[in-house]
Amino acid sequence: METIKNYLEAMFANMPRTADVEKAKSELLQMMEDKYNELISEGKTENEAVGTVISEFGNLDELAEALGLEKEVQQEHEESEANPRRALALEEIRDYLQYASVRALCIALGVALCIISATGPILFDTIHLAGVGVLVLLLLVAGAVLLFVFSGITSKKWSYITKGSCYLDYAGSNYTMEEKGRYRRSFAARLTLGIILCAICWLPMVIADSLGNLAGLGEVFQIIVLLGMIAAGVFLIIHSSMIMGSINDLLKINDGQTMSSSYTEKAFPHYDNPKADGLLSIYWPTVRSIYLIWSFLTFAWWRTWIIWPVAGIVYAIIKSLFKSDNPTQGNSQV
Amino acid sequence: MAEMNAGISSDVIRGYNDTMILYILKQEPSYGYEISKRIRSISEDKYIIKETTLYSAFSRMEKNGYIESYEAAGDANGKKRTYYRISEAGLKYYREKCNEWELTKDVIQRFIDGSSYLTMKGETNGND
Repeated sequence: METIKNYLEAMFANMPRTADVEKAKSELLQMMEDKYNELISEGKTENEAVGTVISEFGNLDELAEALGLEKEVQQEHEESEANPRRALALEEIRDYLQYASVRALCIALGVALCIISATGPILFDTIHLAGVGVLVLLLLVAGAVLLFVFSGITSKKWSYITKGSCYLDYAGSNYTMEEKGRYRRSFAARLTLGIILCAICWLPMVIADSLGNLAGLGEVFQIIVLLGMIAAGVFLIIHSSMIMGSINDLLKINDGQTMSSSYTEKAFPHYDNPKADGLLSIYWPTVRSIYLIWSFLTFAWWRTWIIWPVAGIVYAIIKSLFKSDNPTQGNSQV
Repeated sequence: MAEMNAGISSDVIRGYNDTMILYILKQEPSYGYEISKRIRSISEDKYIIKETTLYSAFSRMEKNGYIESYEAAGDANGKKRTYYRISEAGLKYYREKCNEWELTKDVIQRFIDGSSYLTMKGETNGND
């Protein structure tokens, strides 16, 4: 049955996305499903049933005429000839997501190295080897630069994906959404841990202070622990956000005007008002950025957390303002 | 009975898909697959209507007011299906199509080799 669904989705992928077309697709699917089930119950094998259903399906030109879409379908034919879009293969999607995770690792590690590099001079200054300290700093920064350059070079190979020459077919969309579902939990956990690490990075200092200065090295170690926690936190935030960002970018490559954009709809919350849709999609990333920028500028972590409850309330208000009225399902009559 | 090949040219039958569908809906309201199955069985497997053809006909006839659609639970597991029923205008249209077919049949038959009209009069052969 999945084969039939894929076939139908592929036929409809570039049709304009209108209520009529949606209805036609679901009605055709229903008929094909009925026929398929009957063939199976008659003892046909899955392959035979699929073959029969697909061979008796017909073609879309006729349907386009009945739906008054000849012009659109014709346009689509011409456009796809002039500018062919290719469906991404599953292996390609898998490779791309693998690359995305490597790139996220490079960037996150690079930033973390830059933060940690400051510990070089601090540490080696205490044993009067300031030169070595600077050397360590430069080495760490060089390592970071190397990582940035590396990720920049590898990203060229994949830039075609989001540049409109490809699309996700139905199977590819499902695969990507499954990947997103699998990653969602770990994303939330890493992001939360990262923010907590940044938020409590001052805690060891306070605790150490209250215990009294140990062996004179105390202050240096406190700073190193502080920077280490910030580096780890920032690493987690960047790494998880970038992977999630790449998955979401991939889910958005289909043309929003065509039926193919309906495959990935479940992956994003949807609001009837397109303005609200746009606003809410950038809401949490914006809040997160404001929180991090404010926090790092002021280092007033005990104060900046107030953003979260406030943002939560504002979000609830915006959402209820734009909430879509669910269209009531068709009345059933017998 | 005349010789029937695997497929009837869809151009020929095109104008009469509506007639077949309306004939079935005249008896009782029905849904997509059920209608296609009945067309197949009434024609003794000689005509299998394509899904796109069937839906195109539904869509066109609904726009013209010949049929009406409604949602209803199917008999088996209570799955919702779109059912169609014939309207007054549809019945009238059906009768018109029947008359048209009688006339068409009458005219075309006069040009068919070996038919009874041959004995009457006129040209016998359409081949060049």
